[in-house]
Parts: sequence; C-alpha cells; structure tokens
Amino acid sequence: MNRRSISLRRSHHIRDGQTATAWLFCAPALLSVFLFYLIPFCLSIAYSFTNKMLVPRIGRSTEFVGVGNYLKILSNDIAAKAFVNTGLYALMVVPAIMVIGTILAVFVNRQVKGVKTFRAIYFSPQVVTMTVVAVVWSFIFSPGESGLLNSFLGLIGIPPQSWLQNSNQALFCIAVMYIWQSLGLQMIIILGGLQYIPEELYEAGRLDGCSIVQKFLYITVPLLKNTLVYVLISTTINTLKLFTQVYVLTNGGPNHSTTSVVYLLYKAGFINSQLGYSSAIAVVFFLIVLIISLIQNYAMSEK
Amino acid sequence: MKTDAQIVEDMSTFRAFIPSGHISAENYSAIIGKVNFFKFFKNSAVVAILNVSLVTILNAMMGYALGLLSFKGKKFMISFIIALAIIPTESVIINRFMVALHLHMLNSYAGLALPTVGYPMFIFLYYNHFKGMPRELLEAAIVDGETYNGIFWKIMLPLSKPVISTVAIMGFIRSWGDLLWPTLVTRDETYRTLPLALRALSTDVYIFWGQIFAFASLMTLPVLIIFVLFQKQFIQSLAMTGIKG
Repeated sequence: MNRRSISLRRSHHIRDGQTATAWLFCAPALLSVFLFYLIPFCLSIAYSFTNKMLVPRIGRSTEFVGVGNYLKILSNDIAAKAFVNTGLYALMVVPAIMVIGTILAVFVNRQVKGVKTFRAIYFSPQVVTMTVVAVVWSFIFSPGESGLLNSFLGLIGIPPQSWLQNSNQALFCIAVMYIWQSLGLQMIIILGGLQYIPEELYEAGRLDGCSIVQKFLYITVPLLKNTLVYVLISTTINTLKLFTQVYVLTNGGPNHSTTSVVYLLYKAGFINSQLGYSSAIAVVFFLIVLIISLIQNYAMSEK
Repeated sequence: MKTDAQIVEDMSTFRAFIPSGHISAENYSAIIGKVNFFKFFKNSAVVAILNVSLVTILNAMMGYALGLLSFKGKKFMISFIIALAIIPTESVIINRFMVALHLHMLNSYAGLALPTVGYPMFIFLYYNHFKGMPRELLEAAIVDGETYNGIFWKIMLPLSKPVISTVAIMGFIRSWGDLLWPTLVTRDETYRTLPLALRALSTDVYIFWGQIFAFASLMTLPVLIIFVLFQKQFIQSLAMTGIKG
C-alpha cells in the first residue's frame, strides 16, 4: 500500500464523523466531571465569600461577606490547630515512608529469589480498606492494661499508655497506621525505579572501590530522583487528605489534637451547616495542594 | 495474607486477655444475624458494580477520543482534564453534596455511585494509553471501512486489557473503601455501605471486638480475592505509574 492514497482517504474520512464520534465519546464522562468536579469547585469559590448556610436560617438571607471566612480561618484557634495537626502528621509520615521505603526497596531489590512473595506481602495492607485498618489498629492501641500494645509494653516494664485518648499521642498513633498501610505501595513504586538502574553502573562503582553507602548515595539516589520526587509529592498530598482515621477513631479529639483540615471542612459544612466557611477551607486546601503539585512539576522538569 | 493473619492474631490475643469464650463462628453468625451484614454488603456491592463498570467504560471512551481522534477543541480539553486532576476530591466534596441535593440524588444508589464516575485521573491514564497506540491501526481500520465508533469497541478495547484492569481495580478499591462521600449522601441505614456500618459498629457504646473483626475480615475478603487474582498485573501497573510520575 502506498501512503499517499491512505492519507488522501483519511482526509476524506476526517469529516466522516470523527468530530461527532469524539464529542459523543467525551460526553458522558465530561457531564459527570462538569456536574461533580467543575460546578462544585466553582461553587466552593463563590460560596467562600458568603455566609451561606447548608440549612438556611429563617429570616436570614445569604450575604456577601468578602474575605470574612478567610480571616476566620486565620483567627480561629481550632482552624489553626487543624492546619498545624495536618502539617505535623505529614512531617511524621512522609520522611518515615521515604526513608524506610527506600531502604526496604534497595534490600528487596538485591534478592532475586522470592521478590514476588515479598512484594505481595508488603502490598497486602493496600488491600485493606482504611476503615478496617483504623479499627484493627485501634484494637492494638486499646488503652488500659489489657490493650494489645500495652500488654507487650508491660512485659518490658513500660506503664500502659492511653494512646488515642491522649492528646499528645493520638496523632502519632494515626500516623503509624498510615505508614503501615501505604509503605508497601510506595516501596513497590521505588522498586520499580530501581529496576531501571543499569547493573553496569554498580559494576563500575565496585571497580572504583565504592563502599555500599557510597554506591547508594552517588549511584542509587541520583538516578532514583524522579521516582523519589513522585513518591514524596504523592505521599505528601495523600497525608494532607487525612480524614478516615480521624472520623472513625477520634472525631477530631481529644481536645482537637487530631482535627485535620478535611475533618474541619466536613464538620464546618456538614455538622455546623456553615457552607461558606467550609467552602473557604476547601479553597485554601486546594491552594496548598496546587502549590505542592507545582513544586513537583518544577522538580521533575529540572533535569 | 498479612491482614488475615493480623486479625487472627488479634483474635487469639483478645481471647487470651478476656476469657469470655467467644467462638469465632459465633461472631460471624452474630454479625450476619444481628448486625445485618448482608444488607450493607449488598449496598456496597451494588454501588461498586455500578460505579466500577461506568468508571471503566466512560473514562476509556473519553481517553480514546482525546488520544486517537482529532477534533476542534481537543487541546483545550486535554489541558482542562489535567487541570481538574489536580483538584482533590476533598476540596469539592461539600458542594458536590449541594449538587447532589439539587439533583435529588441523596439517599439513593445513584447518589452513592454516579458522582465519582467521571474521574480526571483515569481519563488521563486512558488518554496516555491510547495516545501510545499505533496510528496505523486506526488508519488501516478506517480504510477497511470501519467506523471510529466500531474501532473503539472491536479493536481498541480488546487491546487495552492491562489499563482497563488497572482502572477497574483502582476504581473498585476507591469505591469499596470510600467513607467521606457515603457519610454525606446516606441519611439512614437503608443505603449504608460497609465502611459506614463498620464505623457505626466500632463507635457503639459496647464494643464487641470479636464481631468487629469478623465484620472487618468479611469486608476485606472481596478485595483480597480480586488482589490475589490480578496481583501481578496490578502491582506492575502501579509501579509503572510511579516511574511515569
């Protein structure tokens, strides 16, 4: 077949319903995205400047309040706490996952035998729904002497802790749950990046007399950069979305020590009916995620 | 598997601490009889099947149009989808509820399953996949007198099994485990899904750990089965998305 005849025929066919088919194929998904992404997003921005309520109060109409809601986020103690908690939680989870995940991946990568079994085992927590993870871990963190973890600690003479009921420990417990659950997936992603590092480089390193640590720092880490950036950003964004464990286990307590940003906007909008205020929190949350995504794009493109 | 072992281990230590003589079968019969496990299971299953089948097909159709067909406004639409993929679901959730309220979708299977059907990230995944398909395939089929519609169903879909199964599995995990949206949409027990029911069980005044673990294991079982069946493909594709960023 010669190409010219094909391209001539194709130009004929381009008008033959390619556009129509394309739009038809886009329509259903696009409709869903419009209704449940774009419109809610625009509403969030619009409502964030009003005092709109979920359940309208009788005799009070919705008014424009300017940046009042945003000022409220800045001045409200609980809101400030929610942002600080979410940041603290990210600071606990992200470095742990990055460091442990990379070490595990390097370790698993060396042993060719049984890698598949390893992967399956590390990956299994991914299969468990976060709600289940939270409930199971809450059992482990049961307060009192008969709690699972406490009874183990008791063996080495540490007095029982109250864990989720202690405002200094609750957020830490929730972080441990998340690390346990997502470590496997992140490790597998890092492992995928490791597979792409050519063996010859390590050979060359060995000939040059590099130690294991030097090999890791000068060969593995630089070549893994993109994968690590991806894991860093995706884990960070995921930690900022903290909600399930808080909602299942602590309802933001004790003493607001586990109130996260998403829990705050859920509670403000849905329990306290402050749709305007909740929308403002949602917009701020979006802006934070956007900035992190932009940093990712910048770090990835800088090669 | 780790998870079940974990639960069994907990169960055994639990029995060691509190000699109340719970037999695990008793717990299972209790949650099926008393807690009405199957009602919630049915709700979760209906929502998941409805949601996953639509997620898999509709996003694939759009990905195909963006990846392989040429039409006016395509470039803009691709940028639009990428921009939307950045918006976290959590930041639109409250007003998504408002939209669902105005569409009279609250407290229904439609309200639980439909709003998450069009998903920018999946559209983008499909778009990337179809963009990488050889154009000659499309051109040859057109020369053979096939329509663009027919090409998708007869040629492209059968060639896209890996990406389809990835989206289906990820979609299923998303649907099965979602807690925030069902919390907003459901009003009472009628449409309550498994995660909500488990939460209700664990925030009761009296906590029956045996029942909770029985409930949790049964709830995990379907995901576990799917994972065991498809694990190789699933893990590979996940690792791939990590490299591509």
